Amino acid sequence: MSRVILVVDDSPTMRGMVSHTLNEAGFETKEAENGKDALIKLTMMEEGGTKPDVIVTDINMPEMDGIELVKEIRKLSAFKHVPVLVLTTDNTDEKKEVGRAAGATGWLVKPFDSDLILKVIRKVLP
Amino acid sequence: MNGDYSKFLQTFFEEVTEHLSVLESGLLTLEQNPDDVEVLNRIFRSVHTIKGAGPIFGFTTMSRFAHKVETLLDPLRNRKCSATRQIIDLLLESADCLNMLVEAAKNGTVIDENKTVLDLEARLETCMTVTAPAPGQKPAPGPSSSAPAPPAPVTSARQAYQISWTPGEDLFQRGLNPLKLLEEMGRLGTVTSCVLATSRLPDLADLDPERCYLSWTCTLETDYPCEDIESVFEFTAPPGGLTITALSSSSPVAQPTQEPDPEPARSVVGEEDDPQLAEVFFGKKSEHWLGAILVEQKAVTPVQLAKALDRQDSLRAKSKEQKAEASMRVDTEKVDKLVNLVGELAITQSMLSTLGGHFEIKHLPILQERLLQLARNTQEIQERVMGIRMLPISAAFNRFPRLVRDLSTKVGKNIQLLISGEETELDRSVIESIGDPLTHLLRNACDHGLEPPEERVAAGKPEQGTIRLNAFHEGGKICITVEDDGRGLNRDKILAKAIEQRMITGNDTLSDDQVWALIFRPGFSTAEKLTDLSGRGVGMDVVKRNIEELSGIVTIKTVTGRGTIFTLKLPLTLAIIEGMTIRVGEDTYIVPLLSILESIQPKADMVKTLIGKGEVVNVRGAFYPIVRLYEVFDLQPEHKNPAEAILLILETEGERVVVMVDEILGQQQVVIKSIEENFRKVDGVAGATILGDGTVGLILDVRGLVKLARQEQSIAV
Repeated sequence: MSRVILVVDDSPTMRGMVSHTLNEAGFETKEAENGKDALIKLTMMEEGGTKPDVIVTDINMPEMDGIELVKEIRKLSAFKHVPVLVLTTDNTDEKKEVGRAAGATGWLVKPFDSDLILKVIRKVLP
Repeated sequence: MNGDYSKFLQTFFEEVTEHLSVLESGLLTLEQNPDDVEVLNRIFRSVHTIKGAGPIFGFTTMSRFAHKVETLLDPLRNRKCSATRQIIDLLLESADCLNMLVEAAKNGTVIDENKTVLDLEARLETCMTVTAPAPGQKPAPGPSSSAPAPPAPVTSARQAYQISWTPGEDLFQRGLNPLKLLEEMGRLGTVTSCVLATSRLPDLADLDPERCYLSWTCTLETDYPCEDIESVFEFTAPPGGLTITALSSSSPVAQPTQEPDPEPARSVVGEEDDPQLAEVFFGKKSEHWLGAILVEQKAVTPVQLAKALDRQDSLRAKSKEQKAEASMRVDTEKVDKLVNLVGELAITQSMLSTLGGHFEIKHLPILQERLLQLARNTQEIQERVMGIRMLPISAAFNRFPRLVRDLSTKVGKNIQLLISGEETELDRSVIESIGDPLTHLLRNACDHGLEPPEERVAAGKPEQGTIRLNAFHEGGKICITVEDDGRGLNRDKILAKAIEQRMITGNDTLSDDQVWALIFRPGFSTAEKLTDLSGRGVGMDVVKRNIEELSGIVTIKTVTGRGTIFTLKLPLTLAIIEGMTIRVGEDTYIVPLLSILESIQPKADMVKTLIGKGEVVNVRGAFYPIVRLYEVFDLQPEHKNPAEAILLILETEGERVVVMVDEILGQQQVVIKSIEENFRKVDGVAGATILGDGTVGLILDVRGLVKLARQEQSIAV
């Protein structure tokens, strides 16, 4: 069974490209437009008895941003152990620290390197 | 960049276009309401997305520029300062510049160190240093590192530094311009000396023009901390390539090497070393290098090269153009509904075929019911499919707030634009074509329609002029009104001008409507002085022509001293028209309903032949030329006597013509099929359609018939 990755980004271009990269590498992907949407998708997955193996999320999104999303995920018993990789243009130490404190597993910078992203995902896969 | 992302390019452009319109409308909202954090966040996200996605497709300039804009937006968003008119002006200009960069990217043009871009970048930076302490950077470890947001440079004392900079040889290949970097450094303070070292330059024979062999030593006096100087040269120098020494103090300021920030993912996740990552930011290669090499090796002459590049560009532009037209975004909801309907159609079809399998006459009522259902299904599908091409008119209206804002500054009038009905939907081809005529009308309203403030006050009106732009559906058509509360059209002035231009003679008596119609004549202009905006006599005739090309009409209502209303009436779509089916002899024709004023059965004494005017009919005192359709199309009619036939009074471009037919059959929607595309242009025929019984019906071209009538008049003379 292929591994499932939830891609959260408000930009359809970005979402499409990340998914494309992951699909090419044999991963199954689900997409969400923002933090809130991601939580809804996660709830739906939980009801279906599945969960993503890894979550890749943008930070700056409407409705609910990536940092909030990580915090929320860490509160949910079903998902708190799922690795969450942040994929963002923010590259400042402060922001990274905020991400780390919220519970993010890793920090990737856009524009993303598809080899690197795959390498990192394979590393964090449970 | 690895991986093939070209198929996302289209998505990217569509997305960016949306973001740009969010940006512009957001900025205009912000101007009215500078403290709207929601809007600021939305703007910020849009710019942020452009910045983030740009480099993936190699649009580094676009991304870099977006970054600069974002850096200016950040302090606004964090409430560290508020959006002044000046900042908004700058941001709007930046939005235009981004737009230009996006357009260039769409056409495959490479804009790198464009003057507009660089100018704006410099101004954005200047503005930034005023609004915030070099935002986006780590707090300096200097004495003032704690400063949260004083609107001034961040260090205490002015300090002189010696900077020696030896950029990596691949500097040019990474899309960097040393001059620009040095200028950027210069903006931090005063450069007291700048020495270029050419010692690394190889012999001419060994010189590779793509490589950078130069290095610089500069002295800079600045209030900024050393980190800010470093950040100017970030990623440009190999380890050891940059040293910054504080001159007044004896010890050099600790400044080892310029290594790119450690990879973030690695710092948290793993140990992988991936040196490509840092390069991704600047990893853009110019496209013309191959050509340069060829020229260098004398394989081609520069002229040949230029020609080849031109050809490449035009080919590329062409393929891009085609691509741009090939796709459109449709609401998923619309598609879902359509899929649903097609499902229903399939069910109806299967019910019908079951019924047809063993049909007995007693099933007739059921058959009729099913056929009714089929009719309902097909009609709804037709509507929905047309709906796919429908867009809210806001797509065209969006740019007008900005236009009016800019115009009001230019003409020195205080103007507010009120838009309503922007959710009204119409065909996207119509939307694309009404932009220009509406722009003309708005310009005219700003420039001619509204009076200068003094004049308004003197007339007892509010100083601020108002232009209303409204769209609404009316009887299967869309109406767009442009209304100003200005001085109104001046009948005498228009008449005087028309006489001067010999459009009319002084003896003509014209109704108000006829006078207003004069302003649509080519070459007509009443503006006393030519302004930048309008008054060149082009405009109104173009407006009228554009609207008529869309099978629409323009009407004017005006009250002196109170204002003018231009009303555009347009069909919802260009592919389907409402038509009246008529019969001449054995043949059926369609007349566009829009152009029919009325139909009459004349009495014998109403039809006369006037010398110089040919055959005319007198309808309530007005004489209109008669066109006998059977003569035009060479048919055998049922009636040759006008008193027995039916006369249709048609109007186009303000001119009327009467067409003689045998019978009016009914009214129906017809889908226009072009004759010109499949055969050739036929005078008097606008197109063809397939009628209910499967035969072809020709659609009359009213404008062509009017012309025909005019020719006959001249023959009759």
